[in-house]
Parts: sequence; C-alpha cells; structure tokens
Amino acid sequence: MNALGEFALQLGLATSIYGIVCYLMAARGNRIDLYLSADKTPLVVWACVMMASIALWKAFLTDDFSVEYVWAYSNSQQNVFYKLASFWGGQKGSLLFWTLILTTYMVIVHSQYRKKHLRLVPHAMAVMLVMTVFFLGLLNFSTNPFELIPLPPEDGRGLNPLLQNYWMVIHPPTLYLGYVGFTVPFAFAIAALITKNLDDGWIRLTRKWALISWFFLCMGNLFGAQWAYVELGWGGYWAWDPVENAAFMPLIVATAYLHSIQIQEKKDMMKVWNMSLILLTFVMTIFGTFITRSGLIQSVHTFDEATLGFIFLGFLGVIIAFSVFLIVKRLPLLKSENELDSFLSRESSFLFNNLVLLGIGFATFWGTIFPIISEAFRGVKITVGPPFYNQVNVPIGMVLLALVGIGPVIAWRKATWSNLKNSFFKPIVTAGLAGVGLSFFLPFTNKAEILAYITFIICVFVLTTIVLEFSKGARARAQISGGTFIEGFGSLVWHNKRRYGGYVVHVGIVCIFAGIAASSAYSVDAQKVLKIGESLELGGYTFTYEKLRVREASDVKTRIIASMGVFKDGKRVWTAKPEKEFYKEQNQPVSEVSLRSTFIEDLYVILADFREDETATFKVYVNPMVWWMWFGQMVIALGTIVCMWPDKQEERRRLQRVRRQEAVFAAGPAAPAPAQQE
Amino acid sequence: MKIKKILVYCGVLSLFLVFSSAAFGGALVADLENALMCKCDDKCGKVIINCTCDTANQTRLDFQQHLDSGMTVDQIIKMHVDKYGETVLSAPSKNGFNLTAWITPFAAILGGGFGIRKLMKRWVKRKKTSAGEAPDSIEEPSPTAPSKYARRLQDELDNLES
Repeated sequence: MNALGEFALQLGLATSIYGIVCYLMAARGNRIDLYLSADKTPLVVWACVMMASIALWKAFLTDDFSVEYVWAYSNSQQNVFYKLASFWGGQKGSLLFWTLILTTYMVIVHSQYRKKHLRLVPHAMAVMLVMTVFFLGLLNFSTNPFELIPLPPEDGRGLNPLLQNYWMVIHPPTLYLGYVGFTVPFAFAIAALITKNLDDGWIRLTRKWALISWFFLCMGNLFGAQWAYVELGWGGYWAWDPVENAAFMPLIVATAYLHSIQIQEKKDMMKVWNMSLILLTFVMTIFGTFITRSGLIQSVHTFDEATLGFIFLGFLGVIIAFSVFLIVKRLPLLKSENELDSFLSRESSFLFNNLVLLGIGFATFWGTIFPIISEAFRGVKITVGPPFYNQVNVPIGMVLLALVGIGPVIAWRKATWSNLKNSFFKPIVTAGLAGVGLSFFLPFTNKAEILAYITFIICVFVLTTIVLEFSKGARARAQISGGTFIEGFGSLVWHNKRRYGGYVVHVGIVCIFAGIAASSAYSVDAQKVLKIGESLELGGYTFTYEKLRVREASDVKTRIIASMGVFKDGKRVWTAKPEKEFYKEQNQPVSEVSLRSTFIEDLYVILADFREDETATFKVYVNPMVWWMWFGQMVIALGTIVCMWPDKQEERRRLQRVRRQEAVFAAGPAAPAPAQQE
Repeated sequence: MKIKKILVYCGVLSLFLVFSSAAFGGALVADLENALMCKCDDKCGKVIINCTCDTANQTRLDFQQHLDSGMTVDQIIKMHVDKYGETVLSAPSKNGFNLTAWITPFAAILGGGFGIRKLMKRWVKRKKTSAGEAPDSIEEPSPTAPSKYARRLQDELDNLES
C-alpha cells in the first residue's frame, strides 16, 4: 500500500503537469481536443492524492512503523482518534493534507463551473494545477511521507502529548480549509487577468468561495485560541506567536477584501485594489506555511524538521512577481472611473475600514518579520512578543470596532449631517449612558482597565446601531406586508441575506471584543503551594485542595489528578480536577486544565506541581467573559451561514444578466466568441 | 480638512497609548513575566507569563527572590539582558533602531489615511465636474412611507443586493 501511495503521488504530479500544458494550449489555440483531454486531469489528480492519503491513513491505523513518518508521529498505544489526526501532525503529512484539500477544492470548482465559464475555467484550473504541482513536487522529491526505515522499530515515538487533544482533530483541518480555500479566488483572479475579463464577473463567481474560506480561517483561528486556552495552561488564548500571526494576517486581509468588493459590485470602482487584496490574501496564506516550515522565526508551532524555508520563499517570490507583473500589464484595463459623491458616504467608510484592517495586518506582519530586519541591520536578533502586539494593535483594533458601528449606518453615495444626526443620536446616547453606568462598577487602576472600559462603550455603541438597523428595517417590512414585527424581521433577513448576515457577523465581532477586553483587564490569578485541606482565596471564591490520586491510563500514560472543592459564600459550586499527565519517553509532563465556563467568568485551575507527600502547587485564574468569545464565534458562524445561504433573488438577477449579455452578443456585428457567462 | 484632523488626532492618541505603558504601575512579578522570554532548553519561544515549563516556574521564583532582595524591575531586566542578550526581551526597546518597530505601523496607517483622503478628494472633484451639483442628500425612505410608495419600496428592498 505504501508503494501504491508513493506511485499515486508520482502519477498525480505527472498528470498535473500534463493538465497545465493541455489547459494552456487549449486556451491559446482554441483546441477542443486538448481541452477535453485536460478536462479530466483535475479528477485524476484528486484520485491520486486521495489514494496516497488513504495509504498513509492505513499505515497509521495498522501501526506500520516501517514508514518513518508513522514511526515519528504515532505509536501502538495511541487512540485511533489521534492516529487519524497524526496524519497532519508533522510536516510531510501536513503537506499531503494541504494537497488533498487543494485537489478536492479543485474538483468541486471544476464540476461547478466547467460548463458555465469556458474562458475563465481553463486558466483557473491551470493556476490550481500549478499550485498542486508545487506541493506534489515537494511530496515526491523533498518530503516523501512514505519514506521507509530499513529496520522497522517495534513501536513509534507517538504524537506530541500537547497535540493529543480533541482540538487536534478540529483546528488544523479548519485552518487548512481556510488557507487553501483562498486558492480558488486567487486562481480566478489570475485567470481574469490573463484573459482580460476584468469586470466584476470573477468576483461574483468566487464571492462564496472567498466567504467560505474566510469562514474556515476565522473559525480555525478561534478554534486555535480555544485549544491554547484549554491545553497550554497559562490562562490565556492568544500569544501572538509568529504562526498565530501567520493565520491572523490572511484573515484580516480577506476581511478587507470582502468589504471592498462590495464597492466594486455597487459602483464598479477599485478594481486594482480588489485584485491586489485577493493576491495579498493568497500570498499571506503561503507566507504562513513558509513561517512554519522555514525555522527562520522561532515559534511553538514550527515543525521539527522545518527545512523547506528557501523553497517556500522562492515559490512566494514567483507568485508575487507573476501577480504584480500581470496587474501592471493589465493596469489600463483595470482602471475604472472612480467617482465619489461625498466624503461622507458608505464608500468612504469602507475605504477607512480597509485602511484600518490593513493597518492591523501590517502591524502584525511588521512585528513578525522585525526580528529578521533587526538581525539584518544591526546584527542583533531581538524578540517581538505579545507586549508589542497588544500595545500596537489594541488602539487600532478599537478604531476598527468603532468603524463596525459607523460604516453600515452611513448611506451609500452621500450622507448629510442630518442623516448622521438621525442615525447616530440614539447609539451615542445609549453608549454614553452605558459609559456612565459602567463607571460606577468598573475599576480604573491601570491602562488595561481604562482601555477595556472604552471598549465596552464602543461595543454598546456598535450593538445599538445594529439593533436599530434591524428594528427599523423589520418595522418597515411589517408595515408594508401588514404582518407582525417578527414576520417583518424574518422577511427583512430573508430578502437581504448578505447585508443582515453581515450585521450578525458584526454582533459576533462585538462579543469577541468584549470578551477580549474583559478577560485581559479584569483577570485575576494566584499561585500557592497547598497541603490537603488547605485553601486559597481568589475573586470571591475559595479553592480547597481535597485529594490527589494516580491513575495508569495506559502503558505510556500516567495521570495525576487533584481534586479541589470550589466554594462561593460557603456553598460548593464546583469540583475542579486539574491533572498532570506523564508520557513515556517525554521530558515534560503535560498539564490538563480544569475549567468551569459561564457567561460571567471562567474558573481555570492548573496543577502546576506536586510532591510525594501530596503537597501540590496550584495556579488558579478567574477570567471574566471568556465565554463571550466562543459565543461570538458561534454568532459569526450563524451570520456567515445566513450570508452564504442560496438566494433565489440573486440567482434570478444572475440569469437576467446572462440573458442581457447573450442579447448583446446576438445583436453584435461581429461573430461572437463563446459567450462569457457571468 | 476634518478627515485630516481626525487622522492626526487618531495618530497622536495611538502613539500616546503605545508609549504610556510606563505611566501605570502593575504587579512587579507580572511585569517581569511580561517583559522577559522563557529561556528553556526546548526554545519554546514563549513569554514567561505564557509559559508553564519548569524553567519558567524557576524563573518566577528567582524574580520574587530578586525583588525581595531589593532589586528593581529595571535592574532585574538588565541582569537578564546582560546574561542572554537583547533577545530575552519580549518586545523591542523604545529607543534607537528599535523605535522603528513601534512607529512604522502608525506611520503607515497615517500615510495610508492621507493617501485615501487625497484619492477621495480627487474622486469627489471628478464626480462634481462630470455630473454638476449633486443633490444635498440621499434620504433613507421613512419606515412610515405613504402606502402608494409601499409597493415600490418592497420592490426596491427585494432587489437590494447587499
């Protein structure tokens, strides 16, 4: 089966190269025969990659330690769940997994569009196949996952204990689905540039792909935060690690893109800008993989055998050079008659939204690469850690949050001061009242608390604008149809899924900002060495150490479990059971956090150390409102689903556009080329 | 003009927020944990406050001992920089070449802001010259619009793309 997997990767590579050549020659020479031949390659390549993936999964499930990769990331005692997830636990498997997702997306795009968009699809397929060739090239010549060990060992090393968590099954695939997904809009953007189809057709075609990829990337980032929170045991969820930054940057640029394409769709403006944004988003996804696989920047996420830096850097350079060359070459065609009715308009607020988003993206990028810059200019390697990002990104983030409230309320084209007064009077008054009310309850002893207070006020402002938008619209709908407010609300959202789904996403963003502000500013913690029966007090709770027990979970894992009674006002509210897990042949034990999460606060208990006399060191955190972040994540998911829900109105409008285009072609003086369906 | 002023105020306020960290006090050990990186053999790359390894735990105890012996936070940080080099600091210092790390993001945003303002001015001017004077405002239809407009409003809402 391993030989079959290896052969499948070789066949996949050869087929991909054949596909690229055929697609390009078919497009250049109008060769139907070549097109029909190339048309089958995406499916063949996908089948090859799938076959290789099945072979690797089989090797994991059957404990085939003759495969070096299986030996390095699995062992016979490992849970089946983690054996399956070990597939993407190391560099080789993760590259294969990336390729599997890429080719799966390619097959979906191929089956969706191949009969509808005859001019764009061949080029887009060729671009996706080029990406596939790159990854299959690595898998065949540099990081072969089927490399064999001449004398197979009896057992494997096992997956890193920190990765043996259920989030390992959820977080990396979600993130990869997001990363790889942006290849689709990128491929169509390049196809549009090559074929000179530079209206908003490619944007409309890939809008949902961009949204789906954004969704997965967003969820992947937040799942990663949850994983860090429950597994790493330092009471936080985001450490501004270079690889976290690498996942965050494309998300931010893609968010800017999703906003700015609305201006192009509405007013046919900013073509160069949107093209640049999608190219930048894709480049950022590759930059992320470059960081994890180069070993150039120190990170907890870096793969052990991070040796592919220069290959990825070269690939990145080629992508950037080719994309910039194409944009520059097509600049005359991309120029649009940019006009603006007023400084005070939705369009201008979107421009500033883009500025702030890219500002956050740039600050994060700058911090990530600054150690390299410092070393290059001064010969001194420095560290850029969380204090930098918190101090730089927090003020910019607060401006962004305010724009989330301001932007959607300002009218398209032109708003007057009286419009603004009408729109913002109630939100500003509500936020002001909230600010006065909160000032009686919240402390102001340090900068973090003051910033959190300001953030809460902005959150109230934004929420009020969104609630008013919904209520105004729902009332208008109800009045028109003569139904109830609820019916009006349903009708409003149903007929404007994209707009109101977007507002729901904004509500989720507000929840996340509130959660971050509260947990950063008002979190308290304590660490104490306790004997059985002793207690520590924190945040109005009493944590009493009750017992310590040892459990042999398996031949390779021993669990030390402490029990802690948690009391509030003398009443037992919870029993915390933090653990230390010891894995055979691992230097460091792994802490398993005990967590009680409510919408008010999280109780977070870690067993930091213990001795034979059952004395134990506990670290306890009371983190307010962390739950709001995970709730905000669900709200974002709901809003994105609303945005993506198939829209019959939109489909009808699309068909009308197609008919109009066909009519133009039919009436045209020259013989028409194959109709470019939108 | 207003946009220019807003951009300048935002820039000044942001820089104030960045450079004002020293104005507020905090727990001393936490300050040290935030300021210094873990130097364990595993090269975990974590700031000490985020690290749970044995080295980080020992370093925390050392911090407390140093503070108890009368050393200040700055002295302890300097001691670590002397021992491990600048790389032990969790963020670039706010002087010399490292200042560029702090200023560049805000300079880029301000530059971008002025660029956008300039573009917008050009686009507004272009619109005015191409279409003459635009109407003063595009009023949102009132939710209580007369019934004769109701059907038209519904059609518009149905056709609204975003």
